[in-house]
Amino acid sequence: MNIYESHNLLKSKKISATELTKEALTKAETSKTNAIITLTSDLALRRAKEADKEISSKGPKGWLHGVPFTLKDLFITKNIRTTAGSKILFNYIPPYEGYVSRSLSDAGAILIGKVSCDEFGMGSTNENTPFGAVKNPHDVNHVAGGSSGGSAASVAEGSSAFSMGTDTGGSIRLPANFCGLVGFKPTYGRVSRYGQIAYGSSLDQAGPVARNVLDVGCVMEAITQKDPLDVTNVPNKTMKIVGALEKANVKDLKGKVIAYSREFIEACDNDVKSSLYDALKVFESSGAILKETSFPHFKYSVAAYYLIATSEASTNLARYDGIHFGFRDKSMKGNLEQTYIRSRTEGFGEEVRKRIILGTFSLSSGYQDQYFAKACKVRRKIYQDFENAFLEADAIFSPVCASLAFKQGEGKQDPLKMYMNDLYTIPVNLAGLPGLALPFGKHGNLPTGFQLIGKSFQDEELLKLGRAFELASKA
Amino acid sequence: MNYDIVIGLEVHAQLSTNTKAWCQCEISTNAYENTKVCEVCSAQPGTLPVYNKQAVEYAIKLALATNSEVNKISVFDRKNYFYPDLPKGYQITQFDKPVGEKGFLEILDDEGNVKRIGLQRIQMEEDTGKSSHQGEKSLINLNRAGTPLLEIVSDPDMCTPKEASAYLKKLHSILVYLGICHGNMQDGNFRCDVNVSLKPKGSSKLGTRTEVKNVNSFRHVEMAIEYEVQRHKELLDSGKSILQQTLLFEIETRKTKVLRTKSDADDYRYFPEPDLLPLVITQEHIEKVRSTLPELPDAKIKRFMDSYGIPLYDASVLTSEKALANYFEESLKGYEGEAKKMSNWIMVELLRYLNEAGTSIDRSPVKPSSMASLLNAIQSGKISGKIAKDVFLKMFDTGKAAEAIIKEMGLEQISDEKALIEIAERIVTANAGQVEKYKGGNERVFGFFVGQVMKETNGQANPVMTAEILKKILGQ
Repeated sequence: MNIYESHNLLKSKKISATELTKEALTKAETSKTNAIITLTSDLALRRAKEADKEISSKGPKGWLHGVPFTLKDLFITKNIRTTAGSKILFNYIPPYEGYVSRSLSDAGAILIGKVSCDEFGMGSTNENTPFGAVKNPHDVNHVAGGSSGGSAASVAEGSSAFSMGTDTGGSIRLPANFCGLVGFKPTYGRVSRYGQIAYGSSLDQAGPVARNVLDVGCVMEAITQKDPLDVTNVPNKTMKIVGALEKANVKDLKGKVIAYSREFIEACDNDVKSSLYDALKVFESSGAILKETSFPHFKYSVAAYYLIATSEASTNLARYDGIHFGFRDKSMKGNLEQTYIRSRTEGFGEEVRKRIILGTFSLSSGYQDQYFAKACKVRRKIYQDFENAFLEADAIFSPVCASLAFKQGEGKQDPLKMYMNDLYTIPVNLAGLPGLALPFGKHGNLPTGFQLIGKSFQDEELLKLGRAFELASKA
Repeated sequence: MNYDIVIGLEVHAQLSTNTKAWCQCEISTNAYENTKVCEVCSAQPGTLPVYNKQAVEYAIKLALATNSEVNKISVFDRKNYFYPDLPKGYQITQFDKPVGEKGFLEILDDEGNVKRIGLQRIQMEEDTGKSSHQGEKSLINLNRAGTPLLEIVSDPDMCTPKEASAYLKKLHSILVYLGICHGNMQDGNFRCDVNVSLKPKGSSKLGTRTEVKNVNSFRHVEMAIEYEVQRHKELLDSGKSILQQTLLFEIETRKTKVLRTKSDADDYRYFPEPDLLPLVITQEHIEKVRSTLPELPDAKIKRFMDSYGIPLYDASVLTSEKALANYFEESLKGYEGEAKKMSNWIMVELLRYLNEAGTSIDRSPVKPSSMASLLNAIQSGKISGKIAKDVFLKMFDTGKAAEAIIKEMGLEQISDEKALIEIAERIVTANAGQVEKYKGGNERVFGFFVGQVMKETNGQANPVMTAEILKKILGQ
């Protein structure tokens, strides 16, 4: 099930939204991946029925009309439980509608359910969750990746045509990579964050996980209106890209300069490495110009990221205090402070507690210059590394992860190694650039792929390049 | 030992914007609990703040009105602490780069000389909700949460309790003049934290300070400072040291009590608010705001002195409140005499009675036009100054116009020459002994005759005419 084809079938009345929805719901109900936290069957069927009625009289109003999708449970949905993958919000029913949910609903897309993620987006395996680790549909012994693991798993298993994820340090691109899908993190500021539960506010960005670049374009057109409720949402025209993607051609790659760091590729596991070199060959044989380059400050990116993201998270998560909403320690013993302590200790998982403590420390007086402030300086250096590379390149080619999808439980053994796995995705968030994870080949059951990084606010160019590669790799 | 007193003040002024600082909620002090609350000001997950343009404009106004520099780029920061009436778990405020810096305003010191008080910073921030405690339970009302505030931090330039209250009054009047703060202290629109320290006279090294939180009247500020100064003095004189503490001023006992002792544990982990981009204010914007500034107290003082010829003290009192200044100017409109006389009447009589009645100038029962007719009646000799005071009192009590009362009470001055001559002659005839004395050179006896005429006429005789007539008769 993909968007573009479903749209054409709906348009030509060869299939109904209700049929598509039922198919997705059946897949969701029989799923073995743990992708879904809250299934919205009744609502989905009702909306599908409405969509069918509208489509039969006027035809689909856009690419997404009647198309089933899922939302990472970090997206606020009015009157539908939104957990952030956390016990602390296990019973939270939002009283308002978020931007992404509203936009997609306005576009006529059918919400199948809210999908799992690492708690508050913190993790790369989707194992940091009280709702059960998400498994990789290609091999259930492996993780789907995180933090948007539920998104990737739901698309890969067919319980949705696309899913909205969020990406703070790679959380869309990594699970897309592990599940053989396209994952797109737009430029920071391209999609409103209003109604997206915050992890690291200056890094968080919503984007789609879908089966191909054309589908990503279909989603982007629906979620890029200017939103006055997010002041970091940069005034820009609503994206119009599907037409260009339809016209995309392998020849578009000709003369395009693709920069990459050999060092990064060489650092990957062999299975990944060979796939990366193969992908580069596809670019080269299509007429693109490969250019080796280096990114001298990237080695500091993981450290900088884990200071900035956790610093922001430590205050973003302060509102979960057991007082106003969400989980509250029920013992009702002791004073206010003990209510805070017990509610937060029990409500947050281990990884979240760890990151709050790290972030709190990094912002503490006497340490802030050494940690948070220094990390912000590193961040600017990383941006400059990108700028230098873009002086001579149209896009940057990079691994998404040094390894294939991890085995379940593998991450618990070496947390620091887990953090290092974000090495290739993190710089993109620190610089706020668009990053597009593309699937390319498989090793055994497990998919492989890479990412392309584009210039700031040139998301359209990046998608066109990605589409051209997609066509070239199938040629 | 003798000490110098060092006082610095932090004021929190609630802005009278249409909506809250980051959302579209209405600001209301008397709405039912938790009815002026939305997803943003209740800190629902996923919500984001949006600047309130009006609040930014108000901040610029105050900066300009206090001779402050407006920072072209100012940054919002998060101040992190846990409290139930702070739903986000942090307050959005400004730390490194506030909207305004390095300003000053002028007050009259205890000797009546102009003194400049520095304004360190003007920063934009948000108010918290309100907690109320009922036995075991605490209740939270978020109607106030997210109300835009300006925090105005003075330099430690004040040396006496009176200077501190003069500064506060001046700042308060500027805020109200600008129309950016309702200024009702009892509603918490204008709240003050007082920092006090003592140092040996002439020493340049500051002593340990204590902070008295949330003092909500000018008088209480003076009392709190007086109390703290005395307390510091006694401690220092007996060789004890001052603890850096945060205190509350208790009105009942007129004493301060310890809220908490400051320690290194107070770490608010300030850092730039990632959900709000730095605020960029262009010169053009500043100029636009400048062009909307009303006449401010200082300019008004000068104008009152220049165009009405009243002294600095009068001008300062009359401009201390915008409504009072308006009253004064309004009352001069229909008045034909000297402005200084009007100034005296307003400052001495009107303000005293308003004060006694516990009401404000804009609710004065005596309207400016009535004030003008009262003084005109004195000016034209219709009534004497003495009787005017009785008339004024009646006007104040009944709200009636001067003429009506004068007529009602039959207080009109007797300026009928014939009538006055008749009375004068009768009195002179009846007091032959006094006439002898007068003619013998005792001029003081003249006063006796005037008094007698006044007695006879219930004080209504025109004093100037009475004197002339008496002189004539006695001179014969």
